[in-house]
Amino acid sequence: MEQQAILAIGIFLVIYALIISEKIHRTIVAMIGGGLMVALGIIDQETAIHHIDFNTLGLLIGMMIIVSVTAETGLFKYISVVAAKRAKGDPVRILISLALITALGSALLDNVTTVLLMVPVTFSITRQLRVPPVPFLITQIIASNVGGTATLIGDPPNIMIGSAVKELTFMAFIENLTPITIIILAIYVPIFVLIYRKQIQTTPELKESIMKLDEKEVITDHKLLRKCLIVLGLTILGFFMHQLLHLESATVALGGAFLLLLLTGEHTMEEAFTKVEWMTIFFFIGLFVLVSGLIETGVIAQLAEQAIELTKGDVVVTSMLILWLSAFASAFLDNIPFVATMIPMIQEMGQMGVSNLEPLWWSLALGACLGGNGTLIGASANLIVAGMSGKEGHPITFIKYLKVGFPLMLLSIVLASVYVYFRYLV
Amino acid sequence: MLRYEYDKQKLNMQEKANGNDVEFDIHCLDGALVEAIKRVQELFEDNDVHTDVLFYAYPNHEYRVIVRQDYYVDFILALMKHRVLQRVEWMT
Repeated sequence: MEQQAILAIGIFLVIYALIISEKIHRTIVAMIGGGLMVALGIIDQETAIHHIDFNTLGLLIGMMIIVSVTAETGLFKYISVVAAKRAKGDPVRILISLALITALGSALLDNVTTVLLMVPVTFSITRQLRVPPVPFLITQIIASNVGGTATLIGDPPNIMIGSAVKELTFMAFIENLTPITIIILAIYVPIFVLIYRKQIQTTPELKESIMKLDEKEVITDHKLLRKCLIVLGLTILGFFMHQLLHLESATVALGGAFLLLLLTGEHTMEEAFTKVEWMTIFFFIGLFVLVSGLIETGVIAQLAEQAIELTKGDVVVTSMLILWLSAFASAFLDNIPFVATMIPMIQEMGQMGVSNLEPLWWSLALGACLGGNGTLIGASANLIVAGMSGKEGHPITFIKYLKVGFPLMLLSIVLASVYVYFRYLV
Repeated sequence: MLRYEYDKQKLNMQEKANGNDVEFDIHCLDGALVEAIKRVQELFEDNDVHTDVLFYAYPNHEYRVIVRQDYYVDFILALMKHRVLQRVEWMT
């Protein structure tokens, strides 16, 4: 192995270990890692920039802008209050409704944004019903990771895969991943009820107080809401048609974002830009450059070669290996760097003669997204909900979450294995 | 503890303790006070604490406000700041 390759592996492993240790913020670590790849001459700056996937970044920034403006209107609180009233104030039915809203929200927005919007509403409803919020929050974490699996824009691993593989369009993600996520959710819902129904009992008077709520009062700006709904609708329509229109998903998201800012004005733009998660964006940039060091020095190609040797090029074995490895890796590690490393490896396998890559891509997406449910550190949304809950005096400990999350994650991966096998490999 | 006064022509307000919370039932009879209540709501919804003061709106400008004990003074002072209350003083 060349000296440059050994150096690239060394930097990658140290940076990966630092990301896992969480001693220093992951964005700083990833950017320093990427910077070292350039500074030490492993790759030049032009090559590094070439490896940054601007489609992923554009899609994330565009959606963050649209969602941050829409959140100001009270729309998400409105939806939750309506759902709670339709559930007749019954805590079990509200738990199911909020979990399903979270899943749908995560499919159309992103997980972190969705839970950031859902957690305050959950505190509000559970406080009124005088029931503990933790069962609601844990089910929402799980639902957000499952819902995010359903679409190209739902979860960062899917955004990265969809961006790297042009044939995997928005519709392709829906056709291939939405059915299995619906199956998983349909199986999860009765399990949620079984686990939590005894913990969330309330009185008829408190149920009645939910029924009397005036949901119209929750909308803070009707004019802005109309603009947001039009743009959100056009953007989602744009995602469905992006292949037909010959547009990248980032063009659709950024187009929607700037149309909304055009309609709402400069003041909204300033506020929306402050709400873009720039730390996440730079984390991605750092990772893309970091992984490019491994690609350019041939490390990824060698790994792919070894993986093919191990599985003897058998697509069934390779798919299952990717699915289960991604799930366990995502349960304990950050799934974004993992997927950033796996994408070039699968592409390399294609160049080495593995002709049917489709099951491998869906296995990676399913494993990386659903695996996030395994532990409290499995996905950013999990940590954000736990952090918010803990701060409000309702801690979700690692073990408390693990007891529910890990078995459910295993169940979803078993279901996903059956799905991948029968749909793509028989 | 605080003692407060308000214009009974424009507002009805009852408070009761409920566990670690204090619950207020507020009925605004004056449009200006509805706006003031909304500004108080924005104040507590825009901060970093999600369970300090929770507002529930009902038809006919009625509100239930659930206030965490440790935010009781903040809430009363916010009502005073936005002129929902006319007078606030410490009880001796």
